Amino acid sequence: MTQSGAETPAITEPTSGQPDGSMGSEPQPRKGRFNVSSIRAALAPRAMALVLILIVFMFTLLSPRFATVSNGQTILELASVLALLAIGQTFVILTGGIDLSVGSVVALTGVVAAKIVQGNPDMFIPAVIGGIGVGLTCGLINGTLVARFRVPSFIVTLGMMTSASGLAYYISNGSPVSNLPKNYLAISTLNLASEGGFQLKIPVVLMVVGFAVAWVILTRTAYGMRIYAVGGNSMASRIAGVRVNWVLVSAYAVSGTLAGVAGVILAARVTAGIPATGTGYELDSIAAVVVGGASLSGGVGTIGGTALGLFLIQTLNNGFDMLNISSFVQKIIKGALIVGAVYLTSRRRD
Amino acid sequence: MQVLAADPLPPTTLTSLAEVPELSCQDLAKSFAGVTVLENVSFDFYKGTVNILAGENGAGKSTILKIVSGQYHPDKGNVRVAGEPVTSFDPRHARRLGIGIVPQELAPVLDMPVYQNLFLGRELHTRTGLLDHHEMIAQSREMLGVFGIDIDPRIWMRRLSVAVMQLVEIVKTTTWGARILLLDEPTSAIPEGEADVLFEVIRKLKERCVVVYTTHRIAEMTAIGDRVVVLRDGRLTYDRSIDEVTETDIVRAMIGRSLTQLFPRKTLSDATDDPALEVRDLSVERQPPVSLTIRRGEILGIGGLRGAGRSELLEGIFGVRPSSGEVILSGKKVRRGDPVASIDAGVALVTEDRKRSGLVLTQPVLENAVLPNLERFSGLFGWFRRGQAEGVVTEIVQQTRLKSRGLDQLVETLSGGNQQKVVLAKWLSRDISVLLLDEPTRGVDVGARSEIYRIITDLAAKGMAILMVSSELEELLGISHRVLVMRRRAVVGELGVSEVASPTAPERYLRFATGMDVMELEPEEDLS
Repeated sequence: MTQSGAETPAITEPTSGQPDGSMGSEPQPRKGRFNVSSIRAALAPRAMALVLILIVFMFTLLSPRFATVSNGQTILELASVLALLAIGQTFVILTGGIDLSVGSVVALTGVVAAKIVQGNPDMFIPAVIGGIGVGLTCGLINGTLVARFRVPSFIVTLGMMTSASGLAYYISNGSPVSNLPKNYLAISTLNLASEGGFQLKIPVVLMVVGFAVAWVILTRTAYGMRIYAVGGNSMASRIAGVRVNWVLVSAYAVSGTLAGVAGVILAARVTAGIPATGTGYELDSIAAVVVGGASLSGGVGTIGGTALGLFLIQTLNNGFDMLNISSFVQKIIKGALIVGAVYLTSRRRD
Repeated sequence: MQVLAADPLPPTTLTSLAEVPELSCQDLAKSFAGVTVLENVSFDFYKGTVNILAGENGAGKSTILKIVSGQYHPDKGNVRVAGEPVTSFDPRHARRLGIGIVPQELAPVLDMPVYQNLFLGRELHTRTGLLDHHEMIAQSREMLGVFGIDIDPRIWMRRLSVAVMQLVEIVKTTTWGARILLLDEPTSAIPEGEADVLFEVIRKLKERCVVVYTTHRIAEMTAIGDRVVVLRDGRLTYDRSIDEVTETDIVRAMIGRSLTQLFPRKTLSDATDDPALEVRDLSVERQPPVSLTIRRGEILGIGGLRGAGRSELLEGIFGVRPSSGEVILSGKKVRRGDPVASIDAGVALVTEDRKRSGLVLTQPVLENAVLPNLERFSGLFGWFRRGQAEGVVTEIVQQTRLKSRGLDQLVETLSGGNQQKVVLAKWLSRDISVLLLDEPTRGVDVGARSEIYRIITDLAAKGMAILMVSSELEELLGISHRVLVMRRRAVVGELGVSEVASPTAPERYLRFATGMDVMELEPEEDLS
């Protein structure tokens, strides 16, 4: 009784070893490749943490100002806005999509919040809710178009990126929306720590909470498992009774909402709703996620990886600044780092 | 490749006296990982003939084609082309010898015009080095015209039907001057009845080359074959010229032996009069309506050839394919087109292609096994109760004898048989009353196969109703209580409880599946 089972193993049979030594155009036997990739796969997550430690160590040696409490706070504060975007981006990328619109949504939501609160401290809560609500709406539109109308996420979010940016310019009339009340600016400046030497800012708290909540969701809840399942194989998920469309919409909604939060924070930090902010943030957030080991084809990646990827990039930026390395050189190194990291963590898939 | 003048000519057969066979295989043997797939197969094929290689799935047909076309190296034996031994098994070398193969799975470039497909890899250029579209179109028109294929070569490949695409692929394979043309199940993707044009082309082709054609549709063999060679379990069991064959002999040569001990003993308890699932006039994607009833504890097999609409029926019942009509589960109608409603009602689907639609390969065993059942394991705020899930899945893993390094092993690293057990395990952790199985043992090794049969029969014994699509006759007859046969998307026959076990069942089945006239020959007489 061999039946079809007999034909199946043939696929993996290498065609080498002809007696006359003529090798076909077939690829090499897969054993060697498998070993290399499995070593890479095993090393990758640890390697990334190791690289981060090495970089911190290196900068500590090279610059006396690097390993200080205040510089640590600077790194955290600068990372916080991008961290929120990277968390949302992780959700979207895990489902197999991509969200190019987050940078523009940051600009739009910042402008909206600033416009609401401009010169009127009483409008603080409506401004925050309005900003985040606009972010959520953008995410829902993205998700609906991707899930319900099957438009590729790259296209949908590219469109949203353009439109949201246009809307930000339209609302602000192309100039910064300033004259924000003190209570709004406090989002960025308020120090939650009572001790004098140490500062704890709201954005940093939100970042830490964001990472923690996202970690719990992705690793400890049924919803998180559905995110991975939909990204890994949406057809199998559908047959297993997962409401695939709902999961997709929710991922974009998470991303949009977090972009709204980031926009509200950023407007407070720069003391104005500026339509030009956020440019390039979408690519930085994607870089953090993929450097953290996520696969752009979906289903593979962790929130811890995203955090590592984010801090790797942020620490490098900061350290290079300390060493007065030109921002042009920084960009060159950053680009090489992204590709190198993805090479290290990429898994060969059949 | 050397030509040895002293080399003896291959032994001649009765059908040819002095002529040198265009393609000759002697004592071919091949095994993969200890499993013999070909054993001492010898045949001679002559120019100007269409030679049918027949046999069930896994009989070794494709292996022969792959050896002849240089994709596999035989373990033993030799291949001669026009008397000259083939010394090197390599696809490019085979091509130089004039061997062309049209594989079962076509790979046309859909978003290119027909003429560019025909000239793919050997495009014509003008003197300036640019593509000579004009000349390619003209030559394509001529090439297609020779075979009487009336299509505009500028049309996009995507717009052609599968049958016509097949023709274009054949033209593409023959135009560089193939003298041995291998067609691997060319009609498997073509709806029955649309194969006539293909047969016309093949008749024209055989004027200048030898055609080797694999199929398991018996009607086709007599329609275009000059010679029929039947393989069974890697051995040649039948080799006749077409005027000597009878369809009954072919069927017998293909099936041959009695059902093995692979299958657990069938028991159908008496208390199975409850209908578990009723399908009434279900029309899947506007195809002819199908009705069937399956009782609790019953395994209902669905047979038929590929493309007969069997998978579509299962997917329609489950709701991943649009359908109209009624599906009734223990008296209640199930909403159409919604897999979640089906699962809630107690229907589960195990698809044919587990990698495409059964498993999340990038996830571990546990995550796959609990996927249809996450509600059961989630607490407040959707918290996943991992410990509880691990307990349940561990039990199922033992029950199915799934071998893994642990629940955290990624399923992509499991063997085919164990992957299939994961797919089954998904549905064992929840209350399922109807299990729809599509080719449950495809790509599964023999050992795991009998375990999967045991799981299926155990589930039925516990009262589950099982609807199983299978292309493997032995499996179908071996574990089903009843068998429905589909052809052209409709149910055309049924083998009842008593008929399935009778020795004439294989033949009756094949007659239904291939559309041979049942009234013409009484099976009892033929086999006596």
